Amino acid sequence: MDKKILLMNFLTTVGIFVIATLLAVAFFHYSRNSTSVAIIYVLAVMLVARYTSGYVPGVVASFLGVACVNYVFTYPFMHLNFSIDGYPVTFVAMAVISGLTSMLTTQSKKQNQILNEQEKFLMEAEKETMRANLLRAVSHDLRTPLTGIIGMADAYLADSGRLTEDEKSYMVRSISEDANWLLNMVENLLSVTRIRVGGTRVNTSPEPLEEVVSEAVQRLRKRLPQAKVQVQVPEEFLMVPMDAMLIEQVIINLLENAVYHSGTEKIDLYVVREEECVSFHIRDYGRGIAPERLEVIFDGGGTEGNESGDSHRGMGIGLSICKTIIHAHEGSIHVNNWEQGAEFIFTLPLREDKGNGKQTNHFGY
Amino acid sequence: MANRQTILVIEDEKTIGNYIETILLSNEYKVLRAMNGTTGLSLCTSHHPEVVLLDLGLPDIDGMEVLQRIRGFSGIPIIVISARSQEKEKVEALDSGADDYITKPFGAEELLARIRTALRHQLHVGKGQMQPPVYSRDGLVIDFERRLVTLGGNAIHLTQIEYKLVSLLAQNAGKVLTYDFILKDIWGPYADTDNQILRVNMANIRRKLEANPAEPHYIFTEIGVGYRMLE
Repeated sequence: MDKKILLMNFLTTVGIFVIATLLAVAFFHYSRNSTSVAIIYVLAVMLVARYTSGYVPGVVASFLGVACVNYVFTYPFMHLNFSIDGYPVTFVAMAVISGLTSMLTTQSKKQNQILNEQEKFLMEAEKETMRANLLRAVSHDLRTPLTGIIGMADAYLADSGRLTEDEKSYMVRSISEDANWLLNMVENLLSVTRIRVGGTRVNTSPEPLEEVVSEAVQRLRKRLPQAKVQVQVPEEFLMVPMDAMLIEQVIINLLENAVYHSGTEKIDLYVVREEECVSFHIRDYGRGIAPERLEVIFDGGGTEGNESGDSHRGMGIGLSICKTIIHAHEGSIHVNNWEQGAEFIFTLPLREDKGNGKQTNHFGY
Repeated sequence: MANRQTILVIEDEKTIGNYIETILLSNEYKVLRAMNGTTGLSLCTSHHPEVVLLDLGLPDIDGMEVLQRIRGFSGIPIIVISARSQEKEKVEALDSGADDYITKPFGAEELLARIRTALRHQLHVGKGQMQPPVYSRDGLVIDFERRLVTLGGNAIHLTQIEYKLVSLLAQNAGKVLTYDFILKDIWGPYADTDNQILRVNMANIRRKLEANPAEPHYIFTEIGVGYRMLE
């Protein structure tokens, strides 16, 4: 490794000097001016310092430069002679300038490197903060339903004799509701690991649009039978490249979000084919989204300041996971407020991009 | 009461095992429990259960191996218990002889429906009977002898391949059929392993049978695994 660097330094130095000397010879041939020649060598020394590592090549190059000028381009030609009138000053000045510039370039190179490292470190730290935030939000979101489950179960076991049938069935229902919420949470977290494993890209394979949509709706109905979802897909048969499991999760999150937060039960889900993509629209007819939350709704904030009073369902994580999934598919996601209710829209590109030209089929066929 | 059907539950998680046992007992089934693969295999040979519920993640033997070993000596229905995100595992289990799968977490209704389906299909095979000659659910009627499909009394025109697909699914109603199984059955063993052609055909069928292709009533998709027809 060290030898390789040494060789590279040597070759770079020699190469630059050969070019500089050729240039100088040509220049000297026309102008007979050795001062300009000295400038060419100063430039060469600077380049050497820039393109090699460590101080040594630069210092060596500066001495070499002085020697070259003295030997080739000043009288007596082809002899080293430092005693000519005035010349010693020129040579010393040249040596100092070359030496200094080489040291300066080397130093600035080092500083650059340090800056780069610091930046990398900062980015790492930022990622760490993000991870910590997510973890905190997750444990909050997990603890809330768990508290409900444990509390209800304890209360049931403690006084089951005195509870009325209605109270009992209310308690069991709320336990089951909380448990379902937990399940959804875990599935969301699982989807994130599916993305993180392979970096920010996902494995896509062409999937029939209607199958993905219908399975998502079916699973939502199983969980929230009270939801009234109206579904509409294009008549044309469309295969869209995606990770079906993840897109299903996005659709379920958005639908569930609409059920919990709109305050109404009627939801429209329709898919439109656009020129280069398909867009999915999830529209509810409820209370809409507070304007100040529109901007940050996908960034995983909690539900603080949500006046609607449904804070027992954190919606931050579900939506930030939607954003992560859609971005990993190179699509876009945003939200609009209508006169009545809100509309979430996300798009998926129709064409597979070239970088991922070979379809990855993760079904094992 | 004398003829209660026996169900063998091979599951190492106590909570899930207890839960399944409670459901089954309250529905008049006899239950055998095994906490690992070895016990499960020996119970299976000694007690000849009617249905096996098999969790794939067992402490001693790989669930897939238990499945293959049971298949080595018996054709009893095996229902695999699996987690949602592992579609590959489900497909593998189905293609190596499992009759069906159920995804954790599941409700009592779902479990009982799967068991009933498995028992009914077993009945037909066991007695060497043919399937009933007609499939009829919610207005959709498939007459296998006359190769006729009607929906609400109106004849539906299906292509040769489409008819084969629908009748295959209907004959296995309630059971999930993998892409691979369907491809082999309809296009033959040398069919292209690409399931695109199958999915295009299914889309056409959906447009002929379902009122809204996005909300199917008769044929359901299990993404990454296959299709299941309304029982």
